[in-house]
Amino acid sequence: MSIDDSLARFLALAQFFLKDKEALLEEPYRGNVGVIWALFANFCKEHGFSLIVVTGAASFVLLLEEFNDVSGTALILKTNESPEQTKIEWINVANIEILKNRLTSDSAFEESQVAVDCSSQSEVKPVFQSLFQILDGPLRTEIESSRKINGFDYDYSRLWDALTEPTAMVQLGKARAELTSTKKPYFEVCENKHHIHVITNTFFNSKTLGLSNEIPSNARVTKLLAAAQHMIDKEVLECIRTKIHFLPLITNYTDVNLGNCSYLDTCHKLKNCRYVHYFTMCPPLQPNTKETEKQVVAMEYTIGECHDSSTRKPLPPQWINCDVRNLPFSILGKFAAIISDPAWDIHMALPYGTCKDTELLSLPMQELQDEGIICLWVTGRSIEIGRKALGQWGYTVSDEVIWIKTNQLNRTIVTGRTGHWLNHSKEHLLVGVKGNPIWLNRKIDVDFIVSGTRETLRKPDELYEIVERIVGKHARKLEIFGRDNNIRPGWVSMYGTGRFCSFHLLQTIY
Amino acid sequence: MYSYPKYGSKGTSSSSGSTGAQKSRERKVAPQVVVKTEDPGAPFRKASSYEMDYSNHYIHTGHYPTQVIRNVNFQTDGYPKLQKLKDLKEAQVERHATKPFGAKVQTDQMISVLNKWASQGLQFDVIMIGALVENQFIVEILNLLPLFKLCAKPGFVFIWATTANIKQLTTLLNGERWNKKFRRSEELVFVPVDDTSEYFKPGVNDGSHRGEGNGNNESLLGRKQWHCWMCITGTARRSTDTDLIHCNVDTDLQIEPQGGARVNHNDAVPETFYKVVENFSNSTRRLHIVPCHTGYKHPVRVRPGWVVMLPDVILDNFDIEAYEQELHSKSYVKFRNTSMNGHQKLVPQYLVAQTSEIETLRPKSPN
Repeated sequence: MSIDDSLARFLALAQFFLKDKEALLEEPYRGNVGVIWALFANFCKEHGFSLIVVTGAASFVLLLEEFNDVSGTALILKTNESPEQTKIEWINVANIEILKNRLTSDSAFEESQVAVDCSSQSEVKPVFQSLFQILDGPLRTEIESSRKINGFDYDYSRLWDALTEPTAMVQLGKARAELTSTKKPYFEVCENKHHIHVITNTFFNSKTLGLSNEIPSNARVTKLLAAAQHMIDKEVLECIRTKIHFLPLITNYTDVNLGNCSYLDTCHKLKNCRYVHYFTMCPPLQPNTKETEKQVVAMEYTIGECHDSSTRKPLPPQWINCDVRNLPFSILGKFAAIISDPAWDIHMALPYGTCKDTELLSLPMQELQDEGIICLWVTGRSIEIGRKALGQWGYTVSDEVIWIKTNQLNRTIVTGRTGHWLNHSKEHLLVGVKGNPIWLNRKIDVDFIVSGTRETLRKPDELYEIVERIVGKHARKLEIFGRDNNIRPGWVSMYGTGRFCSFHLLQTIY
Repeated sequence: MYSYPKYGSKGTSSSSGSTGAQKSRERKVAPQVVVKTEDPGAPFRKASSYEMDYSNHYIHTGHYPTQVIRNVNFQTDGYPKLQKLKDLKEAQVERHATKPFGAKVQTDQMISVLNKWASQGLQFDVIMIGALVENQFIVEILNLLPLFKLCAKPGFVFIWATTANIKQLTTLLNGERWNKKFRRSEELVFVPVDDTSEYFKPGVNDGSHRGEGNGNNESLLGRKQWHCWMCITGTARRSTDTDLIHCNVDTDLQIEPQGGARVNHNDAVPETFYKVVENFSNSTRRLHIVPCHTGYKHPVRVRPGWVVMLPDVILDNFDIEAYEQELHSKSYVKFRNTSMNGHQKLVPQYLVAQTSEIETLRPKSPN
């Protein structure tokens, strides 16, 4: 249909409605489309709009809807499933007048477009709303340029997006990490208070457990659950099977109003602590049915890993137990990554031996690495010394990782005077880079670790895998000042209790 | 006490069944042995049979490890006494807060205006500098701020930085103007809970490209932290200066709630940090300097009890006389005897009065 034709239709409708106006809403028509369409067909014949063919109520309703789009909803329609029943409830004469003027004036087409824009916006939303919409949108800076360069539009935000897009190396590295690392079991925590209520009412309460302040064994809870199974509805049972539940242990010592114990499962006075403690009920571990490792045979993306990474077996754990300060480092060879958790002397009475700052700074760390990364656990005062030490050993600090410590209930630690001025909910790890290691896989992980607290000084194991993802699984990795629970496949651990000397090293030629 | 025996706990013994005499003998024989503390929570943890690895979960699902933390929206969940303390303190802070003051000062005028204030004897006990907007860390300005004159002794400075700024901040603190006058005492960190955060936009503060302010592309990990250094000048003792400070009420880590920026109207400084400051320092003279425009998307709002200096602040009502009148009428004024250059002098302290209930609830420091 040509523009003229479509305009003619609207002009005809405008003139038609302006002729009778609101009278169409009253007797005998009562705004009934089933009647009005015939009236309009007649009007068209009489006024020479011979091109317009209205064959029935259905096509007339479609026409009216188009008319509404153009006129800024000049007609309020009460639509019905059958077009015959559709009613016109109100005719906005002013809008139709404007439309008619636009259509009959000389520059009809261009101006009518503008008229439509304005009328629809001013009716649909107030001005300030549309202004806010512009403000809420992304910032756009388009620089006007007299020169026209193909393919370059000076759109700042588009350029910015392109610049900040993760690089192909990062994207590929992430995808590979996802493919090659085994997915560990993950369970959500049930936040439904009703479920806890059901569980404590049916089988986990002082009646079933007794008032003795013993922590029930896992087997016992399983037994209790089995016995009470018929009393619990399906939904709750399903939740028990799939999510973790924290069940309050209420004994005759407990004063519920006091709230939770600051130390929860690490409480020393568990037997007669008046604060609330919890039992963690985990869903039964599914036997490894589908979880049999997806064996990735070969990977086409090999940057930052060995070519035979998928077939190579990790080396067994290696360790040297000695006084680290007296060990000639040069015998160990070079490492791609070092994790160090020195016992900093933080001027406090500590239940373990510490190392003087000068002793740490004078360690011949430069012998261990030509190029690679170091992760150094620091705390309080030692953050500054740590930064200084890294600089002295030839590293630049690349990241400041924090370990967000969580308690038994997966909450951050907010009580218990854990810091000098403020409570400490986190610990710091400095990461330094030496040389120009282009083979590192960057930005696969984020710079915080969320993990529960364990024994004093014990750091989260997540770090080992994060480091393995950065330097590659089969790179040589060293842990210095580790403790004997830290030995692990693929790593060399160096630690000293000062009491025994032992070592287990493989002679491997790289 | 068990996770943190390093903080002066005496209760690391017991629970193992061995007598005290045995223990001391053990110590005598091998003083260097790392004391392996037994783990009373072990039965609990054995029950849980495995530990979940949220970093692994992130690799596989892209969900931030912070998403599993259960007290993000309500930090004191499970600790009614601590919540009570915070409520009481908030009410008390509100009662003694001056009306909000704003000083609309352009970036290039700030130094001279602050110098003028300082020369007129105006002092603040708490000064916060910067915001969670990346253009705020302007070393030239930070270096010229008359902080030492403007900050009371003891006084506290909270300064915002990105991970990339930390090096400069260290230099600043060890540099001529700040050295020995301000000591870094705590490092507060702000992390997001998911990647929709307005405070962690791609390309800003994430070490993703070779810009100096962006860490020169050195980072090995995705950067998701804002740092706020708390620095001290003068001497404050946590056991004796309890009218000035209350320690251990808040923690050094704040997590942005899910959809947090939208909920909090993208404030350039999340409200939680003002609260940390107000809970820690009981003084009523608080200044927030924001060196540069933050734009309408990250506004800095005026806040009762604070003077906010920034080029885009909406309210511009700061007047030294009016401010001092407000201070006198709202604060609990106490005179403290200090010696300055050998002269004994009475210095007024403008404080938030404390109630006996707060005193009983607050965490106490061992003397």
